[in-house]
Amino acid sequence: MSGPAAGADVPVVELRRFSKWYGDVVAVADLSFELWPGVTGLLGPNGAGKTTTLKAICGLLHPSQGEVLLFGRPIQRDPMLYRAIGVVPDGDRLYPRLTVRSYVRLHAELQGLTDPGAAADRAIAEVDMGPLADRRLKGLSKGERQRTKVAGAIVHQPALLILDEPMTGMDPGQRARFIELIRLIGSAGVTVLVSSHILGEVERLASQILVLVSGRLAASGDYHAIRDLMADQPRTVMVKADEARRLAIGLIALPSTVAVEVDGDALRARTRSVDSFATALPRLARDQGATLREVRTTDESLEQVFRYLVGRR
Amino acid sequence: MNRSLVLLRFSLGQLLAGRRLVLIALLVALPLVVPAVFAAGADIDPATFTLELFRQLVLPVLLPVVTLTFATSSLGSELRDGTATNLLLKPIPRAAVLGAKYLAAVVSSLVVLLPAEAVGHVIVAGGLGSTDLLAGMLLATTVGALAYCALGVLLSLLMARALLVGLAYALLWEGAVVSVAPSAASLSIRGYTEGVLAAVLGGGGPELTTRLGPVSATVLAAVVTLAALVLAVRRLERMDIP
Repeated sequence: MSGPAAGADVPVVELRRFSKWYGDVVAVADLSFELWPGVTGLLGPNGAGKTTTLKAICGLLHPSQGEVLLFGRPIQRDPMLYRAIGVVPDGDRLYPRLTVRSYVRLHAELQGLTDPGAAADRAIAEVDMGPLADRRLKGLSKGERQRTKVAGAIVHQPALLILDEPMTGMDPGQRARFIELIRLIGSAGVTVLVSSHILGEVERLASQILVLVSGRLAASGDYHAIRDLMADQPRTVMVKADEARRLAIGLIALPSTVAVEVDGDALRARTRSVDSFATALPRLARDQGATLREVRTTDESLEQVFRYLVGRR
Repeated sequence: MNRSLVLLRFSLGQLLAGRRLVLIALLVALPLVVPAVFAAGADIDPATFTLELFRQLVLPVLLPVVTLTFATSSLGSELRDGTATNLLLKPIPRAAVLGAKYLAAVVSSLVVLLPAEAVGHVIVAGGLGSTDLLAGMLLATTVGALAYCALGVLLSLLMARALLVGLAYALLWEGAVVSVAPSAASLSIRGYTEGVLAAVLGGGGPELTTRLGPVSATVLAAVVTLAALVLAVRRLERMDIP
């Protein structure tokens, strides 16, 4: 896996004061960063500008201001750079009548590979889609279609791999294998950029992260350092259970709990440690004789964490 | 295989896949073949009948409907449903992507139109009949397909309702406006195709009066086709892909 000829001191991806706006709406503002080989997570709540940034890197969007360089060159003027780039775009952008094999082979042929059939089979095997290779895409689950898109993106062994929310629809087993694959690709010297709005996903994928909030870079660097910053900010957890009021009394006694609001069979807890909350909740439920029906952190709370990061800068 | 050829082959497969081809082919063949069957036994001049059928049905309706349908769905639909990113994120210049999509639309249109025209002609004539007429119809259809497809691809890059706008152009401008303002024929693809047909029939076959001369029609058809393609390439290179 090698990139186009460029000096070793040239970043694989470089954004210089990149901005993108649509009329009066600013999607991304004044974004600058560099990417080097290894896996980098692009983290941010929905609407933060992750997809806009990825599309600009892929050459699908033109910057309103600033520059986007791949291997030191603007991709819009050099389509041959796509030989070194693999992209898993957002959404369900597949041809439903094709089979998995014909879809991945199409990517191999369009990349001009000398043995597209063998390359397609190898990529399909890498994403564990071998048994489904002759199934039509329209009959696959969302997770299977996502893995097919990944096979199409890696079929030519790119030096730069860009993935927009790639784990959408995958089950936990598929996620674990996918994370393993991406880490393997990253450790082989490929530059991988993965977007997600889920902290836990990025934690397992990438050591380096970029955090986008409202189209601006809120934080960048080592995941654990940024995670420590985030840990200071309370997160909101929604719980649905019978006996919610009794459960709330137990939860408020936890040292990490900041506040608890009860509304019928639902409660909304603010905690400084989601992990300790998650550990204590089942025990409390058992002690109180309560049945848990739903437990989830909210996107709004994630956005609050991101905004908190912006506020600290 | 060359990347552009892969793209062309794939695009043809997408446009002509399965039941869609059968449906469009039937929609084109029935109005041409059924009247031809009835006319074959009647006391009419076969060449005049075929020419009128071509001028009244193929040029104003079937040619624009078929070509604009294929052309607007060839690239524009893929851009709107997002599948075009599979093709655009490849080491292929966007001009080549557009060229392959355009050619796929032209070939698909001709695959549907030309056999139906030829079969209708042979049925009415009870054989090969006027070869000038047959050649003129096939050539005029090809010129029309090249021009309408260029227009359709361009419109599909500019607006969401490209097919509707293209059909409005064909039916309102070429049908109504040109009939009351003959000078408007210089901006009418239908006018160009009639001119090309007349140029071929100049050596024989039934008489045909057109608003544009053969040379003007041919030159204008080429200019409009090339202009639409150049504008489409510029648009595709500069637009943001959704």
